[in-house]
Amino acid sequence: MIRLICYLMGGKYMKAANFSYYEAKNIQDAIKIKANDEEAVILAGGQSLLPALNMRLSSPSCLIDISKISGLNDIIIDGDYLFIGALATHSDVMRNEIVSQKMPCLIDILKMVAHPAIRNKGTHGGSIAYGDPAAELPALAVATNAEIILSGQNGDRSINANDFYLGLFETAINQDEIVVGIKYPLLKQGQVFLFDEVCRRHGDYAMAGLIANIILSSNKVNDLKLVFFATGDKPDVADKTAKLFLQTGYDYDQLKNSLSSEIDFAGDLNSSSEMKLHLATILIKKIINKLEA
Amino acid sequence: MDDIKVNQNPKLGSIDRPNSYIGRSLPRENAKKHLDGGGQFVDDLTLPRMVHVAFLRSPFAHAEIKSIDTKTAKLSDGVIDIFTAKEIDEVCKPWVGVLGHLGEMRSPEQSPLAKKIARWQGEPIAVVIANSRAQAEDALELIEVDWLEKDAQVDMETALDPNAVIIHPELGNNLFWTRTVNQGDVDKAFKEADAVVETTLDFARHTGVTLESRGIVADWNKAENKMTIYHNGQAPHMMQHIIAKHLDLNEGLVRIISRDVGGSFGIKVHVYPDEMAVTAISKKLGRPVKFIADRLESFTTDIHARCHKISGKLGVDKNGKILAMEIDDLSGIGPFSMYPRTSAIETNQVLNLSGAPYVIPNYKAVGTVVFQNKTPMCQYRAVGHPIAVAITEALIDKAAYKIGMDLDKIRKINFIPDNSYPNKSPSGVPLEDLSHQASMDKLLEIMDIEKFETKKKDDYQKGILSGYGVISMCEVTNPSPLFYGVGGAHISSQDGASIRLEGSGAIHLSSSITEQGQGTEAIMKQIAADQLGVKLESVRVTLGDTDATPYGGGTWASRGAGIGGEAVLKAARKLKDNILNIAAAIMQTDKESLDIEDNNVVRKNGGEGISLQKLAETVYYRGHEIPKGTNPELLATASFLIEGIPFVFTNSAMGCQVSIDQDTGIIKINKFWAVEDCGTQINPKLVEEQIRGGVIQGIGGALFEECVYDDQGNMQNATMADYLVPMAYEMPDIIVDHVTTNSGRSIIGAKGAGEAGTGGAPAVIMNAINNALKQVGAEVISQPITPEKVLKALGKI
Ligand SMILES: Cc1cc2nc3c(=O)[nH]c(=O)nc-3n(C[C@H](O)[C@H](O)[C@H](O)COP(=O)(O)OP(=O)(O)OC[C@H]3O[C@@H](n4cnc5c(N)ncnc54)[C@H](O)[C@@H]3O)c2cc1C
Repeated sequence: MIRLICYLMGGKYMKAANFSYYEAKNIQDAIKIKANDEEAVILAGGQSLLPALNMRLSSPSCLIDISKISGLNDIIIDGDYLFIGALATHSDVMRNEIVSQKMPCLIDILKMVAHPAIRNKGTHGGSIAYGDPAAELPALAVATNAEIILSGQNGDRSINANDFYLGLFETAINQDEIVVGIKYPLLKQGQVFLFDEVCRRHGDYAMAGLIANIILSSNKVNDLKLVFFATGDKPDVADKTAKLFLQTGYDYDQLKNSLSSEIDFAGDLNSSSEMKLHLATILIKKIINKLEA
Repeated sequence: MDDIKVNQNPKLGSIDRPNSYIGRSLPRENAKKHLDGGGQFVDDLTLPRMVHVAFLRSPFAHAEIKSIDTKTAKLSDGVIDIFTAKEIDEVCKPWVGVLGHLGEMRSPEQSPLAKKIARWQGEPIAVVIANSRAQAEDALELIEVDWLEKDAQVDMETALDPNAVIIHPELGNNLFWTRTVNQGDVDKAFKEADAVVETTLDFARHTGVTLESRGIVADWNKAENKMTIYHNGQAPHMMQHIIAKHLDLNEGLVRIISRDVGGSFGIKVHVYPDEMAVTAISKKLGRPVKFIADRLESFTTDIHARCHKISGKLGVDKNGKILAMEIDDLSGIGPFSMYPRTSAIETNQVLNLSGAPYVIPNYKAVGTVVFQNKTPMCQYRAVGHPIAVAITEALIDKAAYKIGMDLDKIRKINFIPDNSYPNKSPSGVPLEDLSHQASMDKLLEIMDIEKFETKKKDDYQKGILSGYGVISMCEVTNPSPLFYGVGGAHISSQDGASIRLEGSGAIHLSSSITEQGQGTEAIMKQIAADQLGVKLESVRVTLGDTDATPYGGGTWASRGAGIGGEAVLKAARKLKDNILNIAAAIMQTDKESLDIEDNNVVRKNGGEGISLQKLAETVYYRGHEIPKGTNPELLATASFLIEGIPFVFTNSAMGCQVSIDQDTGIIKINKFWAVEDCGTQINPKLVEEQIRGGVIQGIGGALFEECVYDDQGNMQNATMADYLVPMAYEMPDIIVDHVTTNSGRSIIGAKGAGEAGTGGAPAVIMNAINNALKQVGAEVISQPITPEKVLKALGKI
């Protein structure tokens, strides 16, 4: 993303264009402003938005700062779900007792998201709402069939993550809506979420990553959902390949063929599409090795 | 903290006496200031009536500027004026980046702002002057430029082809400089060799990525005809000369102040068009003007380095003795040779340094440097070394594999023996006081190299490819006038120090060497206090101000300790002599019976002495009490320069052990070892910081860093998110050890230590990776060695 900008600008800008700033007192307040100004954007932790503004990739009219709204960073058990409030920072989530008991893989995942300083500011909701195709959390939400809770002028609605990501940085959020939280279904008996990724440096966006939602019965993989990230324009679900794996086990060539027909791998500076296809195939093996260990 | 290293330099006296600071790892005092946020960087400075600038830069690698319309932009909020080349050229004369001592160099005139044609993406073409940087950037958007995009010559390998785009038509082709070195008869020797090996290596462009970006505040004072420049550079006196020359000012009335500088690595020792424009704007407007490069600007306008393709050939006899080496190097330097050091030096170093640790009776080297439409390239930490060392050491490993010899053994039998100096490199460069044999022995001992062959085999059984490498290298340090001055550049190879005892008893020291974070100030203090016999905390240091320090070259080419340190030593000894003369007169005894310890003049045989404070008070306030005819000078100044040889060389031996994930191509450096011989270590901890920091930069070059360009010459990764530098997780344990061979050129005996890590690490890492890959018949030859390149080499993709 960032490289696209400097390509276009020839390295011209490092200061944001003028914008107005609005500190929202509560959710309704934020929604009202957003509904009335098409060019206003939500500011949460600012870790993705501010660099984009400074390079003048976008010049919104107004930043609606939601970071001061209280009650948006709860982490609680809500029936059969683990609910994480939009403003919980990555660090909040990593340190949370409930998360470590109910969804330990989330902590492993967040360890790979950026670096401590960024994790202290970057928010769970911001990452889900931004929908960077290379980010871990959108893929996790899709892999676990999480519900994304949106608040708008007509009240709250819930949308399944599988229907939320539409394309490159494109989501089902309406103009008047903000993400208020994410509901992850609690693990069932025999269920595990496993995660792995390959990056050039620790904390970088991955060259390819995989989150697997696995149902085991009598120590065998009974059902499997594979969601890849950093491979295409949004979290890539590979159902066909998962099915193939259930039938034939790990066979590099077969799975690679299947993945290449199922996912439109888009290369970037650090890895060509061919490399991503290879790594995606390897990641299945790595996940299985983890499962066995 | 106070670990005492055995002082192996008898000229410095015993380490067990009071105030013996040379050789001790003392904490550096100025680190506290930075931890406390109390540094003073250029951007911290705000002057009354100061204005800010933003540059309009070419978005194209090569394009004609048909017209620039600034009318609307001038009306933008806060804009004071907008200048193009026309206005800037009225006050600033162009420059040419050539020197006279290295054969013919051809580079055209360069002005601060491009005139009709922009020749790299990022070249400045117009500048907005406004009340704030943000306002200046707002106005940039409103400048209308009618561009005519031209074909760009991006690839250096086709730059000399008949159908290449000629970047400077007046030169006829894209050749900047070429040089051939020919010693002995390589062709004959290759025929006689039992084994001949060849390889071609590729090095991507990378850049210095200083934590603090380039910055300048220029303040023209019309009434005094005085130009004051606050600049985060490395060589204040060089800048003083250049700014005076090109702005037609009285050089004596140009003052350069370089306070804290957040890293430089050679990036900040060159003359940049945008910075020259800032000085011209101040001259025109009569106001202070600030420019701080942002990160995008840094990536596309700070000098790049290391864009080389080099092929090499090595011939050995069946016992492993090297008979001949031949290299052919091509480098692309962007559209201009940088001023004033030129962009020929990196290639020149490759030619001079390849094969330097070894006896190679027949040596031929050809270097070709061409223009291309990319960011200008010039000298960056360890200039040319990574290329020279990598080609030499890759060839030696190949020869060892071919004749079935151990990697350490083939090196040992070919080293120029430690007891044979003064000697010459294969290219004919004079070498002295080196210790390749002792350093390699020490390296093998601390690495425990025997265990790696076993480990490698065990790993292989487990499906892990692991490998190791060892290398030896020479590092250019402490250059003499034969480096730049002889070619016509006003770059001082001499440095000065001035030291005084003040009325309070405090010692003030000033030096022409500058500090960019490496600890210059700390070692200067240690030398002065040690030689004078005073407590460390009583010495105050001033650096980086042409009005306040002696004249000199500044900090580059690892010259601070060896040249600047010697000047401090000599000045301190002179001052001590003056003090003792005065004390002897006051105490009515002979000077030889006195010494200085802990800020007191003491009698060697016991008895009452006199404190420096008392002595100073007597001299300054009650001068009538000292006997007539006594020289009352409590101030001493000394200079030093290296004479008779082009450089003082340092040597190092390095080793590393790596493992490779065959599935992902990810390389892990498990451990790194470096043995450095930099002569006297004034502060061993600072030497080790230099080695470690250098090694990390070398890891960057070997595995991560690359300025990626597309076919049109657009830089693709000009952000810190996309340009990868190694971070904490990517840093292995680096074990540093030393061999000490003092330089015979000075009393202090110190050589440089700043660049070996950067120069040697890429070679040893590549050798270790290839040592691992060899087990499956694979090889990598292009840096950075990315996971994708590894997987391709393994045939996985
Ligand atoms: C150097 C660096 C490395 C990084 N590495 C990774 C990584 O490896 N993996 C990874 O996943 N992320 C990474 N990130 C991104 C980081 O996780 C971000 O913090 C996160 O993606 C966005 O969260 P934020 O709170 O900072 O959002 P902001 O930057 O404030 O906002 C991002 C976008 O989301 C919108 N938004 C934010 N909150 C809401 C909301 N509640 N409702 C509706 N819209 C909203 C904003 O309008 C904006 O468009 C990295 C960031 C940096 C700077």
